[in-house]
Amino acid sequence: MTRSSVAFEGTKREQKAVARKVARSVKTSSGKLDRSAGKRRTTTIIVTGILVIVAVYFLVPVYWVVVAATKSSQDLFGTFGFWFAPKISLWSNLHDVLTYDGGIFVRWLLNSVLYAGVGALVATYLAAAGGYALAKYEFKGRNLVFGTILGGVLVPGTATALPLFLLFSQLHLANTYWSVLLPSIVSPFGLFLCRIYAQATVDTSLMEAARLDGASELRIFHTLGLRILSPALVTVFLFQLVGIWNNYFLPLVMLSDPKKFPVTLGLNNWLSQVDRLPEFYQLTTGGVLLSIIPLGIAMVVLQRFWRGGLTEGSVK
Amino acid sequence: MSPLTRRQLLATGLSLSTVALLAACATPGTTSVNSLAKVAAAAPGEKVQLTYWAWLKGLDKVCAIWNAGHPDIQVEAVFIPGGNAGGYQKMYSALAAGAGPDIAQVEMRSVPEFVLVNGLVDLRRYGADSYEHLYDPTLWKQASYTGGLYGIPQDSGPMATFYRPDLLDAVGAAPPKTWDEWTQVATELQKTKVFMDSFALADASVFAAFATQAGAQWLTPEKDGWVIDMTDDATLQVARFFDTAIDKNLVTTAYAAYSPGWFAAAADNQLATITTASWGDALIEGVANASGKWKVAPMPTWGSTGYGSSYVGGSTAAVLANSKHPREALEFTVWMTTTKEGIDALIKYCGIGWSPASDFIGTTREQPSTFFSGQNYNEEVFVPATKQQNADWSWWPVTQQSFNILSDGFRKKGSGGTLVDAVVSAEKQIMTVFQNKGLSIRKASK
Amino acid sequence: MSAATETRRTAARAGHGSTGPSRKRTGSMKRAPWILLAPFLVMFVLTFVVPILIALGSSFTKVTRSGLFGEKGVTTSFAGFANYAEALQDGNFIASLWRMLLFGVVQVPVMLIFCTVLALLMESASAKWPGFFRAAYFLPYGVPGVIATILWSFLYVPGLSPLFDVAKLVGVTPDFLGPNTVLWSIANIVTWSYTGYNMLIIIAQLKSIPVEVYEAAKVDGASPFRIATSIQLPLIRPALLLTAVFSIIGTLQLFAEAQVLQKVAPAVDSEFTPNLAAYTTAFAYNDYNVAAAQAVLIALVAFTLSIVFLKVTNRKES
Repeated sequence: MTRSSVAFEGTKREQKAVARKVARSVKTSSGKLDRSAGKRRTTTIIVTGILVIVAVYFLVPVYWVVVAATKSSQDLFGTFGFWFAPKISLWSNLHDVLTYDGGIFVRWLLNSVLYAGVGALVATYLAAAGGYALAKYEFKGRNLVFGTILGGVLVPGTATALPLFLLFSQLHLANTYWSVLLPSIVSPFGLFLCRIYAQATVDTSLMEAARLDGASELRIFHTLGLRILSPALVTVFLFQLVGIWNNYFLPLVMLSDPKKFPVTLGLNNWLSQVDRLPEFYQLTTGGVLLSIIPLGIAMVVLQRFWRGGLTEGSVK
Repeated sequence: MSPLTRRQLLATGLSLSTVALLAACATPGTTSVNSLAKVAAAAPGEKVQLTYWAWLKGLDKVCAIWNAGHPDIQVEAVFIPGGNAGGYQKMYSALAAGAGPDIAQVEMRSVPEFVLVNGLVDLRRYGADSYEHLYDPTLWKQASYTGGLYGIPQDSGPMATFYRPDLLDAVGAAPPKTWDEWTQVATELQKTKVFMDSFALADASVFAAFATQAGAQWLTPEKDGWVIDMTDDATLQVARFFDTAIDKNLVTTAYAAYSPGWFAAAADNQLATITTASWGDALIEGVANASGKWKVAPMPTWGSTGYGSSYVGGSTAAVLANSKHPREALEFTVWMTTTKEGIDALIKYCGIGWSPASDFIGTTREQPSTFFSGQNYNEEVFVPATKQQNADWSWWPVTQQSFNILSDGFRKKGSGGTLVDAVVSAEKQIMTVFQNKGLSIRKASK
Repeated sequence: MSAATETRRTAARAGHGSTGPSRKRTGSMKRAPWILLAPFLVMFVLTFVVPILIALGSSFTKVTRSGLFGEKGVTTSFAGFANYAEALQDGNFIASLWRMLLFGVVQVPVMLIFCTVLALLMESASAKWPGFFRAAYFLPYGVPGVIATILWSFLYVPGLSPLFDVAKLVGVTPDFLGPNTVLWSIANIVTWSYTGYNMLIIIAQLKSIPVEVYEAAKVDGASPFRIATSIQLPLIRPALLLTAVFSIIGTLQLFAEAQVLQKVAPAVDSEFTPNLAAYTTAFAYNDYNVAAAQAVLIALVAFTLSIVFLKVTNRKES
């Protein structure tokens, strides 16, 4: 059994570990180790103190933008940045953000949702089918195909973006929704994860049984394969979702029409105007706040799905 | 079918399609729209839709005025980032993709760069000659290359010095008339911990404007190719002058004009003057609590040599190569830049730079300004300035790259380099850039 | 591995049967993986293989324009290594590669140590409110690089940033955007963005360590520090390696941070990072061929560094 498959059993073990940990903490608090209780409390205070300081580091920029979004342009430069100005202009700022240029900001957000949502969904399906095929079938050229795709993991995405733009220009795909969507649905890394997971979890005897029942190979994949792969699919989907949402270089190269921009490109478009038109500071800070809220919430909620163990073993 | 044949088939298919794709992937910008047949005017009654990319706020309101009077030619304004801050990159990528707007804002200095990649329509082919008399001849010339006109002048930036009378009074000085006086005033100001101005190490365009004023002419198109002369007396004089000013700490290089740091310093009374283009007025009005504190004077001169003023910025409304309606686009841009209606709207909604029309600066600009201490500075200072500019200056096809090379050199000023060294080395590098593109270039003979 | 052999065995078994249905079965068994792979492969070829071939092709091509603007003719010809030579002679491009190397050598280890220490602290069972801290640390990962940079750039700019007011209290005037500091200001943004994410990967790895191992260590009287160095660190090594490889590739891809900071930091030139250089060459200088050569060089460097890194760390292990 490979190292990778050990990782996938981590889930079960993790639950066991949590249970044990709870039991252990109950044991210690029952006073069995009174002698070291004081020392332990000091440790807790020190560790928590360090973690609080680090949390301040991670949250300060977010806190700043929350404060900045409540200020008028004059207050933004004229008052202390870490505290609110006497006059709260949050609603008028957000109103400006949402209505500027016919509500273009809302459109950018929706574009981002479209690119990331559709892109990640299709990417996950393609990666699952490909990874499953490479894991569960023996065929000539398998190693060549896999090796080539593995090489794709190591090629920086930005290195392919420029030639891809030239290619799409010739195909008249540049500056269309497709120009961002098509490259987003390929995730070599996702395929890689799916292959590892399929190797470890999809039972060949189950596939055999399905074959004997007369199910076609595609049907076996869609019913049996996808179901068993689903925990890995969640990770691939989230990984790709964040990847596309955060992508900047590809849309920057591909898109010239602001109506097709994702929110990253749109906000930078606003920021680039502040030196001529200072009121764009307000639009940019308000827009930054609005754009980090949805994904910020998503991150906080989804972090427990982030099975880091899945990424294990991919080095070997 | 055996797997082997399948693989072979797949391989053959892939390599064939790859070869086809590679062959189709010619480098963009290698065919010229101006050698093709002219695009016919729209048929009567045909509805024409034009797109106009520019970084002018409120341009849509200007277009709305035109649209109301011209139901058959509708213009839609699209906001893009300013020039090299991202706007040009968008235009180039759109051009390479065979798309793009009909009209785009292209700075004077960038027109030849777009010409080099066949990005612009020669408007003389569509009858631009009949409008030439309406425009400032200096600007018209800056949009004309190799016998064609590649953009309608949209605005320009004649230069003057904006100053703080209170800060100058404090040291008993008047706005300097020459650069020598400028140094004297700056030395006095230094004692009160006030900077004379800021100097942008990262943006060579202001330096180029000062060199232009001193009489430089960096690149000249000749019959046998480009002639470069960046190490002439005028340029070196300007470079030495600012080397000294920076060394003596008379100007600050910590922030460039109109950056957040500049606004903060200006509001904090740390800057006494700024020698800049006419469009600087709108930006200076953005300084906190500055109303009534600024006035405008002609920029300092080099005494007996050079010119009275210069220019920074200045744009054209150019028709991009993939436009389906160049004739209609020309009609609109001429209306926008020469009629009273168009100029006044551009000023009112876009706060645009100096009008390119030879006989009208805009109604509001004929009035005194409350912000600038009631001074009628446009007619007093800028109108004469437009008459004292270096008309021989010509831009060249790698302006941006040249400016980047220059400012890369200027940045070394922070670590012991000099502006003079930067200019000398930039000249050599720019010649290499020309040669790498196959363009012929030679050094001017002394 | 076992799965693969089994599949082969199954296929072989199915192949031996000479009855009609099972031959049909064999055919579909052979077709199935290709059908499943086809959509991915088609898109992979379109978005990875072909662009790389195009980049290679175009990096060996040269466009020559004669006259003042190419009005006397434009020729496209084979360039040999001329574009590569031009890219490699460009001092700024080379400088950007060295800059990224310096960045990687400093930022990647700092971030890895930072996130490992955080993960160990979080797992030490001494920490209160672990849920809150995990969420707080992970939050920046959901903030796109551009937006993170916009956010931090506001905190770097004098006159706008409250950090300067805070610094004044202790009597220092920081300069986040100076020629010697801006690289580390970018490093801060990258660290801010990815530490939490990497921490989660390591935590997941730590959780897979059986509790029995800890218990045994405790019985043996091992100190928490000893447990960390001799049990936890060796076990999270694969996760650290993976993170390191992705960080190396990520470092070479740096673009948005530099491009956005360019507007407020004069020290950031148009070729500050290799990617920014390629982008500028393509879309500001319109030299798609040299840009292609730069893109190929960037990919080569990323590839080589990743391979070398894996080789070196593997050798150390054995």
